[in-house]
Amino acid sequence: MSWRPVKAVVGREMSKLFRQRARLISSMVRPMIWLLVIGSGVGSMLQGAEQEGYLTFLVPGILAMTLLFAALLSALTLVYDKEFGVMRMMMIAPISHYWIVVAKLIAATMTAMVQAVLLLLLLLALGLISIKIAFMLLLPALLTAICCAAIGGLIAVWSKSIDNFAVIMNFFIFPVFFLSGALYPVNQLPDYLHYIVMVNPFSYGVDLLKHAVPNVATDFSVMTDIAVVLGFSFVAIIIACWQFSRESVHEPLFHRSTKR
Amino acid sequence: MTNTLAIKTKGLTKQYGQTLAVNQLDLEIESGQFYGLLGPNGAGKSTTIHMLTTMTAATSGDAWIAGQKISDDPVAIRRTVGLVFQESALDRTMSIDENLQFAAAMYNLSPSEANQRIDELLSVFGLQDKRQRKLVSLSGGQRRAVDIARGVLHKPKVLFLDEPTIGLDLPNRRSIWRFVEQLRREEGMTVFLTTHYLEEAAACDHVDFFQQGQLQQGGKPQELTQQLASYILEVNTPNPENVSAQLTPIFGRPIREDEDLSFKISADDVDFQQLQHTLGDSISSMQWRKPNLNDIYLWTFCSPELGQTV
Repeated sequence: MSWRPVKAVVGREMSKLFRQRARLISSMVRPMIWLLVIGSGVGSMLQGAEQEGYLTFLVPGILAMTLLFAALLSALTLVYDKEFGVMRMMMIAPISHYWIVVAKLIAATMTAMVQAVLLLLLLLALGLISIKIAFMLLLPALLTAICCAAIGGLIAVWSKSIDNFAVIMNFFIFPVFFLSGALYPVNQLPDYLHYIVMVNPFSYGVDLLKHAVPNVATDFSVMTDIAVVLGFSFVAIIIACWQFSRESVHEPLFHRSTKR
Repeated sequence: MTNTLAIKTKGLTKQYGQTLAVNQLDLEIESGQFYGLLGPNGAGKSTTIHMLTTMTAATSGDAWIAGQKISDDPVAIRRTVGLVFQESALDRTMSIDENLQFAAAMYNLSPSEANQRIDELLSVFGLQDKRQRKLVSLSGGQRRAVDIARGVLHKPKVLFLDEPTIGLDLPNRRSIWRFVEQLRREEGMTVFLTTHYLEEAAACDHVDFFQQGQLQQGGKPQELTQQLASYILEVNTPNPENVSAQLTPIFGRPIREDEDLSFKISADDVDFQQLQHTLGDSISSMQWRKPNLNDIYLWTFCSPELGQTV
């Protein structure tokens, strides 16, 4: 197995990412809105020092959100490429089909990291974090990016078409984000929500990012976070590869023309 | 002797739910041949190609490409075959060059190999100066040409073309065929074609007619047309019943399409002038000509014995 095809798939995603500069810049708008609008809005209900603290508390959460959206949307190009036919070029290539998933998830991880670095630069410029914290956040961000890409891969290999996009947003992205401790500390949640947070792998990524920021309360130990994030990613990627290698997944791509 | 055969299938079958898309297909296609699989939409032609290129697995039966069993090592098979899909596989937002570089990398060609090959192919298709153009700015025929170039980047031994000229106008269809012919001549690849523009299949070394997942008949196009009849007589008449009744005892039953009757005539010595005179005013027009693949198609799938109308 040569790496050239994998590099080609990753390279294609990267060149698309940097070509759509407006989109890249606009991807910074969402976290900024959350941080400044929600952060200040909710913060204003808090008292004095807590107010300051909430903005700091939000930094890892907002970073995690950026990683989640970027990685998930990038992983969904597995579905986009099927819809627009480009997947055929990859399917007919002399590589095992699971490499397509692996390549796409590497691309998703890298896309997420590019956006994370942009956001960190922005946060630095705004004086919300120090250079030291920015560096401290990089490695946890990478692990979280892998975890988000893996979640995206799982969703993508089970989506038949991009028509399901709204469904995916409502049923996966929002619950995964809101029930993760990104916006509020987990231990204050009612029990039943607490359990959902516990089974949400993204929560551990968020928690890992929180560990990198001083004075932010965390819910799990660093080791637990790393173990869960890596363990989940590994299993999820294997399952995504397995599902993608099953032929029935691609039937719409090929069988459509014979049905007509 | 599977080794000398480019393609061999034995009892190849594909079932989607209750429908048999391909039913017990047996094929033997020699290396270097230009083979045409012809048949109506939904006959199972694409499914056959998708099985032979490992895009979909057979329900039962076996197939070999250049002596390799397809189920043994699909990756190796994909290295041996090229496939031009019925629907484009290209990224419209990228340029010709980006698309082909991407495809070449998927075939593990080094950038310099890829560059050389892309140069070569684009000059065959007359697209050298459009190399940096985005796909969206090309015509349908040019895009199709790029699709074909993509399919042969890695110099496959066997090239599958699934309805390569569908949706193209006549000049573009002609030029696509010139390119395919040139590629075949220069690189000696076996070409497996499906089409329902039957006149395009006349250049094939062998054609098979395919319906409901089964082979109906096949042979060299020239022999098939010779076997079908000496002449095809087409008559347009306001009284198809009468004319049909009059001529059926002589020529056999015609294929009827509203006011058009089509007879196949086996005898070589029919006096058409005399016939025209005899029919006189009961017909509006008549013409006789040599049969072609369209006639084989009609007489195979719509013959009066089958009781089907056109």
